[in-house]
Amino acid sequence: MASVKLTKVKKIYDNKVVAVHDFDLDIQDKEFVVFVGPSGCGKSTTLRMIAGLEEISEGTVEIDGEVVNDLQPKDRNIAMVFQNYALYPHMTVYDNIAFSLRLQKLPEDEIYEKVTNAAEILGITDYLLRKPRALSGGQRQRVAIGRAMVRDSKVFLMDEPLSNLDAKLRNQMRAEIILLRQKLNTTFIYVTHDQTEAMTLGDRIVIMKDGYIQQVGTPTEVFEMPKNLFVAEFIGAPKMNIMRTELTREGDKYFVKPFGVKLEVDGAKGAALAAKHAEAGEVILGVRPEHIVLTHAGEPGAIPCTVEVNEMMGSELHLHVLTEEGTRLIVRVPTIDLEGEERENMVNGHKLYVTFRGKVMHFFHPETEENLLN
Amino acid sequence: MKRYSDLEYLRLSKWHKFLYRLTSFFCAIPQALVNLLKSIGGFFQKIFVGIGTELSDLVLTFKNGDWKTRTSYLVMGFGSIARGQVLRGLLFLLFEAVFIFYMIFSGGYWLSMLPSLGKQGPAKEYDPVYDAYVTHYHDNSFKILLYGVLTIFFIIAFIYTWRMNVKQNKISEEILKSGKKLKSGKDDLRSLVDDQFHKTLLALPLSGILIFTVMPIVFMILVAFTNYDGTHDGFANSLFSWQGLKNFNTMLSWSGSGVNYSATFGEILTWTLIWAFFATFTNYFLGMFTAMMINKKGIKLKKLWRTILVLTIAIPQFISLLYVSKMFAKNGIVNGLLLKLGWISQAIDFWGSTAHSGLLARVMVIVINIWIGIPYLMLIATGILMNIPADLYESSRIDGASGWKQFTKITLPYMLFITGPYLLTSFTSNMNNFNVIFLLTGGAPTNSAASGAAGSVGFTDLLITWLFKITMGAESQYYLASVIGILVFVVVALITLVVYNLLPSIKNEEDFQ
Amino acid sequence: MNEKRHLGLKASARISNTLIYILLVIMSVVWLIPFICIVLQSFRVESTYPVGYVIPQKWGLDNYIALWNSDFKRWYLNTFIVALVTAALQTVFVLCMSYTLSRFRFKLRQGLMRLMLVLGLFPGMLTMIILYRVLKDLGLTQANAVPGLILVYVASSAMGYYVSKGFFDTIPKSLDEAARVDGATRAQVLWKIILPLAKPIVIYTILTAFMGPWGDFVFARYVSFGTSSGMNVAVGMYSWLSLDQIGSRYTMFCAGGVIVAVPVTLLFLFLQKYYVEGVTGGAVKG
Repeated sequence: MASVKLTKVKKIYDNKVVAVHDFDLDIQDKEFVVFVGPSGCGKSTTLRMIAGLEEISEGTVEIDGEVVNDLQPKDRNIAMVFQNYALYPHMTVYDNIAFSLRLQKLPEDEIYEKVTNAAEILGITDYLLRKPRALSGGQRQRVAIGRAMVRDSKVFLMDEPLSNLDAKLRNQMRAEIILLRQKLNTTFIYVTHDQTEAMTLGDRIVIMKDGYIQQVGTPTEVFEMPKNLFVAEFIGAPKMNIMRTELTREGDKYFVKPFGVKLEVDGAKGAALAAKHAEAGEVILGVRPEHIVLTHAGEPGAIPCTVEVNEMMGSELHLHVLTEEGTRLIVRVPTIDLEGEERENMVNGHKLYVTFRGKVMHFFHPETEENLLN
Repeated sequence: MKRYSDLEYLRLSKWHKFLYRLTSFFCAIPQALVNLLKSIGGFFQKIFVGIGTELSDLVLTFKNGDWKTRTSYLVMGFGSIARGQVLRGLLFLLFEAVFIFYMIFSGGYWLSMLPSLGKQGPAKEYDPVYDAYVTHYHDNSFKILLYGVLTIFFIIAFIYTWRMNVKQNKISEEILKSGKKLKSGKDDLRSLVDDQFHKTLLALPLSGILIFTVMPIVFMILVAFTNYDGTHDGFANSLFSWQGLKNFNTMLSWSGSGVNYSATFGEILTWTLIWAFFATFTNYFLGMFTAMMINKKGIKLKKLWRTILVLTIAIPQFISLLYVSKMFAKNGIVNGLLLKLGWISQAIDFWGSTAHSGLLARVMVIVINIWIGIPYLMLIATGILMNIPADLYESSRIDGASGWKQFTKITLPYMLFITGPYLLTSFTSNMNNFNVIFLLTGGAPTNSAASGAAGSVGFTDLLITWLFKITMGAESQYYLASVIGILVFVVVALITLVVYNLLPSIKNEEDFQ
Repeated sequence: MNEKRHLGLKASARISNTLIYILLVIMSVVWLIPFICIVLQSFRVESTYPVGYVIPQKWGLDNYIALWNSDFKRWYLNTFIVALVTAALQTVFVLCMSYTLSRFRFKLRQGLMRLMLVLGLFPGMLTMIILYRVLKDLGLTQANAVPGLILVYVASSAMGYYVSKGFFDTIPKSLDEAARVDGATRAQVLWKIILPLAKPIVIYTILTAFMGPWGDFVFARYVSFGTSSGMNVAVGMYSWLSLDQIGSRYTMFCAGGVIVAVPVTLLFLFLQKYYVEGVTGGAVKG
């Protein structure tokens, strides 16, 4: 059993700067949790507090029910993969991986077993006698993982392990980490600034900003029901389109009027608004680029705009369009949906019409930025 | 002074810009000094506040503590032992015992004698055993001062340890109250190689510094307030006593029983500053220049040139300097060669000429110091030059910059930024560069005008060689040497503080990153 | 018209390079001359007083033999022992201090560094007297100058931590952290991980610590206080150049200079790359 529980954990530096505020989280055994957020949001600091590399200013961290605040890293039974791998440069790959085992004074035979096993899983058996400087970035990454793997620890911590790899390698390693997770069957806590990694790897995602937790949830939850504007904009690429508009109410129905075009908030969203007795008034409206569809002039809810930039992504076009009053929107259009001529027309200056349904609308309070349907 | 906005500044002529920057620099100095005084004031304020907090903490701990804690106020370590931390408790107890023992048998005596530094000096007394007048020695001022200071240090250490003892009691109580366990002796030992490892590592080195640097410096500062010298050596000849600020007055006053100390001091100080300035900057720029020459693309045998120059670092200075000094002697090799070549008709007295107040000797000293210093600077400059990103030069070449432009706009600023702090320490250590001056000239040629009771002063004497002469001289005026030492320290410290805060390195750190 | 003003890249580079070569040759000669002179003079046998020419008229090993028969042997041994022991102990002290300051963050860290900075601003001469007295009371002067010198050199040596600390700062702290997560105590981290990586700076420290005592003149002189058996080479040879001795000892001085300089220089050349690495790496990061 290796659950991790953080209760009201705070990190305050000497100069009174608070890096992490009141962090509360319950991580189940064998769960893969991702801490994600922009630089400086406190995710790495929290991870390091769990590891014992940073002192916990307030609150408690429990691993497997035991409070570990005063324990040294080596006594917490954790393993960690660092962002810059932190491989011991003067030792061979074998010695790097064997280091912790030798400190535990295990017999060499056992060490040999464990190291070669891990090497085989990671595909680095050929490099066991090489030194880190003779390895590529991806290979070093695997050695770092191998070093953490052999410890049979309760919790596996990873601090932005993929940040130093190029894009292609990153995708490849992501898949390997998922495989690794299945093999190791232990609790993972993973830190990244990349929301794609968070979405693909995590059972649950913890989104942080400025030291505060913004939302904790499964990838689906944070994608479909972002708790506030920050989460909505952070998750999903390209960013969600944000517009300020007015929410009006007519009986049981709600309407928004983005760019002068009246749209009904139909379907489940409208019902939810009604259930919450949402007040009419100014509101921040969010719609994801993939949820905006092309339509024609004259159709209900058609918003006129002009194409500024057209990014050809292969299977999609990312259209950057400008509405009549100057707001920029991004619209994702599958290329397959466009006939040849239509595709040619998507150039700067081309006029088109877009619209969206109620079920893809997200509403946020104009001041608190909280989701109205929380 | 008119302050320009960024846009206004850009419109100024080049000359105007330069003037503006120059005046800004000088106008910033008073502010820097004010800031300095403020920070010193703040420092003292922190100390007072700190002491206040400590005292109130002591009182509170006593009030709120249990009986074990309260007993520990008297018997150190009692609380620790009573709570099961035997190792710690015993160590505290032992320390207290040693301290009390020492104070009773030794410390008390030294402390009591400290204000007077001894009452009875050596005196000829009638000794019945030998049936003659024999010199009997009594108090020893030197030992009193020395051990008195040591005792004060010991007392301070004791207060600190006692305070730690009280604090530990408070912390232990809190830990036990919250239900946790106290660290055992074994835990303590283990933490000495882990989280408290720094204490283990620093124990010996810090004690060494404390005993062999801090204590002597404190002692010598105190000596400056006595009249300790050859005749008042505190024991064999006669005791010495406190003089208050008298010595400082003598040194800094304009008039004074025929010997004008402050004028001498001023003269030597001026030369020391000039010397430090030239020594530092000639070496710096010439060393940089040499490094750039060797580093230039297309120059072969780089390693050979560097090795030859670096060789001079290896050879002990006393050999090179002494020999070079003899080379330039009146009957030395240089004169011999010049005479043979017919370039001069009479041997040049490099080290002797008092004409122009020993100008030739002073110039020679700076020139020879270049010979000593360039290899070292060249190494440093080479290291830095290799680290300047090549694309800075490449992009400037595309922009059309000539070699000289590249030097002034890229190389020089970068070098100055990186080596700013080094230049400062180089300057201050040159001010105290004993070896070069002493081995080359011994301070000669003699400055008869400035000499006097202060000992023979020369035109190339630095404050520190003067200090040395005073110490080793016939009268061994230690107190005078201490005064000079303190004044040197004040000058050096002031320069360091002011310049350090004005250094571009501190202000423009981000520019280079 | 333009062709006349610009010599072209290749030609102007060749001219400046030639100039540089000339300058470098001159510099090399100037820098080496004093040593060449010393070596040559050490073989001079026709006279022992300073003369105005360089090349000996008669060559021989008389001066070296005289060295062997004089107190020089004792001085050399003294200095060698002092240098060896100081090198070992000083390295330990300096590395302890610089590693601690680089890796650990403890309450008194800033204060300690500032204190050492301030202490370093005091002229070293000042403390000489009191240290001499302390040594005298301990019986470590004159004939016993060697242990006394070692004690003084080593005790405060940790104050010279700047270069080493600069070097340690360049070793990523994540290595320490990885090792601690792997289960190492901080002592094990130092011993197993950091020290193997710090080889250049360790050698640099040993080298500079070894070279130091050969050149110390002032303090060694004070401590030996006239007792020849306690002197080091610097003090002893300095006395040879005093007015009354120089007539008969000048050439011996040169021979002594050679004997002292050669081993130290060879050692230095051998370990040159570490010295350079230390100076350029650590000194400037400081």
